[in-house]
Amino acid sequence: MKELSELKAPGDVRYTKEHEWARVEGDIIRIGVTDYAQDSLGDIVFVELPQVGRKYAEGEECGALESVKAVAEVYMPIGGEIASVNSVLEGAPGLVNSAPYSDGWIAEVKASGIADMEGLMTCDEYIAMLKGHKQ
Amino acid sequence: MEKLQRTVLYDRHKALGARMVEFGGWEMPIEYPGGVVAEHLGVRCGAGIFDVSHMGRFVIRGEGALPFVQHVLSNNALALDLAPVGAQYTLIPDQTGGAIDDAFLYRFVDGEYLLVVNAANRQKDWDHLQLHAAAFEGVELVDITYDIAMFALQGPKSRAIIEAIAKDPADLPEPCRNAVGIAFLAGVRVMISRTGYTGEPLGVELFVGREHALKLWDCLIEKGAVPSGLAARDTLRLESSLPLYGHEFGIDGHGRQIPCFAFPIAKWAVSFSPLKGDFVGRAPLQKQFAAYSGIIYRDYSLLSDLPRMFRCVAVTGRGIARAGAKVFKEGKSVGYVSSGTMVPYREFEDKGLLSRQIGEHRLRSLCLAYLDSDLNEDDVLTIDIRGKLVEAVVVKYHLRSDAPPYAHPIVYGREIPKLPFACPRSFCKGGGKPIEPPAAEVPEPCAAPARLVRKAVDNFRWRQYECINLIPSEMTASPMVRLLSITDPAFRYAEHKGAKAFYDEEIFYYQGTDFIAEVEWMLEEEFRKYLGCQEAETRVISGQMANMTVFSAMVDYINRADRHSEPRRIASVMNNHIGKGGHLSAQPMGALRDFVARDPKTERPAVVNFPVLAENPYAIDLPAAFELIDSCRPEMIIFGKSMMLHPEPVEQVRKHLVEARIDSVIIYDAAHVLGLIGPYFQDPFADGADLITGSTHKTFFGTQRGVIAGRYEKHEEKYELWEAVRRRTFPGAVSNHHLGTLLGLLMAAYEMNFFKDRYQQSVIANAKAFARALKDCGFDVAGSPDVDFTQTHQVVLNVGYARGPEVAERLEANNIICNYQATPADEGFSAASGIRMGVAEMTRFGMGKVDFQSLAALMKDIVFDGVNALDKVKALREPFRELRYCFADDEYAPILESLRGLV
Repeated sequence: MKELSELKAPGDVRYTKEHEWARVEGDIIRIGVTDYAQDSLGDIVFVELPQVGRKYAEGEECGALESVKAVAEVYMPIGGEIASVNSVLEGAPGLVNSAPYSDGWIAEVKASGIADMEGLMTCDEYIAMLKGHKQ
Repeated sequence: MEKLQRTVLYDRHKALGARMVEFGGWEMPIEYPGGVVAEHLGVRCGAGIFDVSHMGRFVIRGEGALPFVQHVLSNNALALDLAPVGAQYTLIPDQTGGAIDDAFLYRFVDGEYLLVVNAANRQKDWDHLQLHAAAFEGVELVDITYDIAMFALQGPKSRAIIEAIAKDPADLPEPCRNAVGIAFLAGVRVMISRTGYTGEPLGVELFVGREHALKLWDCLIEKGAVPSGLAARDTLRLESSLPLYGHEFGIDGHGRQIPCFAFPIAKWAVSFSPLKGDFVGRAPLQKQFAAYSGIIYRDYSLLSDLPRMFRCVAVTGRGIARAGAKVFKEGKSVGYVSSGTMVPYREFEDKGLLSRQIGEHRLRSLCLAYLDSDLNEDDVLTIDIRGKLVEAVVVKYHLRSDAPPYAHPIVYGREIPKLPFACPRSFCKGGGKPIEPPAAEVPEPCAAPARLVRKAVDNFRWRQYECINLIPSEMTASPMVRLLSITDPAFRYAEHKGAKAFYDEEIFYYQGTDFIAEVEWMLEEEFRKYLGCQEAETRVISGQMANMTVFSAMVDYINRADRHSEPRRIASVMNNHIGKGGHLSAQPMGALRDFVARDPKTERPAVVNFPVLAENPYAIDLPAAFELIDSCRPEMIIFGKSMMLHPEPVEQVRKHLVEARIDSVIIYDAAHVLGLIGPYFQDPFADGADLITGSTHKTFFGTQRGVIAGRYEKHEEKYELWEAVRRRTFPGAVSNHHLGTLLGLLMAAYEMNFFKDRYQQSVIANAKAFARALKDCGFDVAGSPDVDFTQTHQVVLNVGYARGPEVAERLEANNIICNYQATPADEGFSAASGIRMGVAEMTRFGMGKVDFQSLAALMKDIVFDGVNALDKVKALREPFRELRYCFADDEYAPILESLRGLV
């Protein structure tokens, strides 16, 4: 497991308590899981992606990441309709481990809820929360 | 909560950055920073090291130890009595036929057993064993879990690592599964067994004193072993379909005891040997076994004793089937997943033995499932994976471990592309003729015969004019032998049998057979003359058939006093181990199988192998052999092998048998050396053999047949054995005995008896010159250097572990035809490090010592320097097209011509 100082938490995304992130990119919001999430799970060997076109509420389960040993649900950081998913992960689930904030993204959400982003944690808040976890 | 226990390696795991978890009361590494996927692949492609010191280790000793383990464990501990097998998988059954635990029993030293059990069950097992030990005299039970550490080193590179750190590699266990030994590794004494829980064909478990554990661990890691955690241990065992207590043994998902035979491995772990006597759970296990046997034959009448069994299931849809997931077939619930995950694997190329792992790893979802016993392979299932029904299929296995050094994943649905022709290889090699793709349209009716003939001609030219043929089992027959073989007798029958009513006259069953009767009589006469014996049987059509006929005759002979009872098999046989040059036709896995008894102690065929010399495994260690003969008193001794470099010690063994008053029939299988029998090599009958078998086309001059010869005279009691040989030949082994090649063989026998003096000397001289030259070129040549490495037609090279197939292929690409061969140090043919060659055929084509020296130099260029020497090899072969040592001079031209006119 990585030490807190080794965990990446970039400033251009917002975070949830469940260790998802969301990033505004034009008129869509890209979502994924954090470095901490992937590191806790270990090698990810299977990804169940959200359904394209379906609307999910904020906090609703929309997919799952599976390691050899365990399943971890993915929850929507913000509500909205799924515009597209990162289907590359179906053949290369390890991208979530190696690049959680870039190539390992999970889905793109139509930006009806950009205002909701304000309810998510900033990186400083998230790191502070992780500190609590680690302690 | 009770404080977690730590192994002696705890600090090492922490320092390596391992993620530690609770497991069976211990704090253990689940994975290291590299992650489970890398660790799993690290084992499959290289070598992984696991700290398994958390497992329970009990020593059982004392005079009551054997009866005690026979009573509380399911397997037959007596089978651990004979080297080299010193370990066995076993169960600790309860009274109902369920498993209290599954375990491994080791016997490293006399009078002491080591039982390794699951960490979580250690106390339960200990209590159970103590309870039963009370009823036995002289059983000492000691828990040594904390005194010694235990590692598993697994994977294709494990062998090189162990050899690199062994003080004396000769102390390492024999290269076969479950072999054990004690050796010094990294300067410390280690008990080593060739066992493991990963499905890897190569791997060992190491037991080392706690005080030395860190030193050994550090040394193994320094040599390249990758630390691997419990997560990889689980994915590896699951991929190789090995059971895990708590999932596949113990209590099932409905709270019921799982019958042991629900997991098919029980077939190997439960013994009903009469020598074992009664044991805990025997009666219910026997009932389960009856049900299991029925299920194998798809007879489900006893299903209530074994309603469900564990099966391998491949998940073909998307998802991971985890333990507990419900399984359905056509909508009906048929069981549940007991263990399941996604495992990584690397593909192998479609190149048979030469396949290498390629590309990036992939992932596949697989599981073990506890399913209704009437399900079968290929049954399509659905699995409820978190509310979704995902398709899956019952498969036979997920992985094969029988082609060392690698474990091979078997991926459902994968098919090897079919080659355009059944056997096209020889057409595209050397001769330079590429394979023609199959015609897209249906060819004209006459195209196929024309193509076949053209290819046959191409192949003939390639093998006969352009290749150096070094397969020691092969010989080109002379033109006269070839032509005779396809004359009229090739189309006839001439069955015959000696009839007592006619004073043993041979009675023929068909008319028109006078000529062939005369041929056969003359052929026997030629063989009697050649081998110096009383009797010859020439109707067997291969060397393997000759051996099988002799074994069948032996069974007939030993049962001749009692024709009512079930005939007994040959009580015990001594032969050369297949891994040490012995031939298939003298092995239980080959022709001996149905004729040799099972040893009730080992429950394996009652075969013991000649011990061999440490410095030359191709020669028998006589003092050790005598000791073994005295203890085993074999009813039959079989000399001869397919990797044969030296004469067999027939004379010494015969002398020993006489002195020790042991009545044993000595068979000399001369398959390879039949054409060398005589003063320059060995005279088995003069040395004391009773029977000689052989094939007539290796060093002998062809055609491809077999022969049996006997030294017994009519007044001897053992002549009955010879009569049995005649009966078991016909009508036992053959009816039609291929009269065309019989006629050809008579001519070959004339050639041999006429030319043998010069031929035999040339063959042996050439082999020695070839072996010496290869040695001088830097090759590792097997055999004793004192005799120039060989005393036969054969030369054996060691080209590096598992490199044999690749080197043989490279030589073939250069028109040098030989074969790869597993040497005594190899685990099997796929790990072959040997190249076996014979000089007989090329000697007959006229090659001499100088030519073999040139050949050795070319081989050096090809093998060591990767040079393409195809043209040089063709040039070397060019002058040697005419077969020697046959009747081919001008004076024979007219008769040869008359034969050609016939065919």
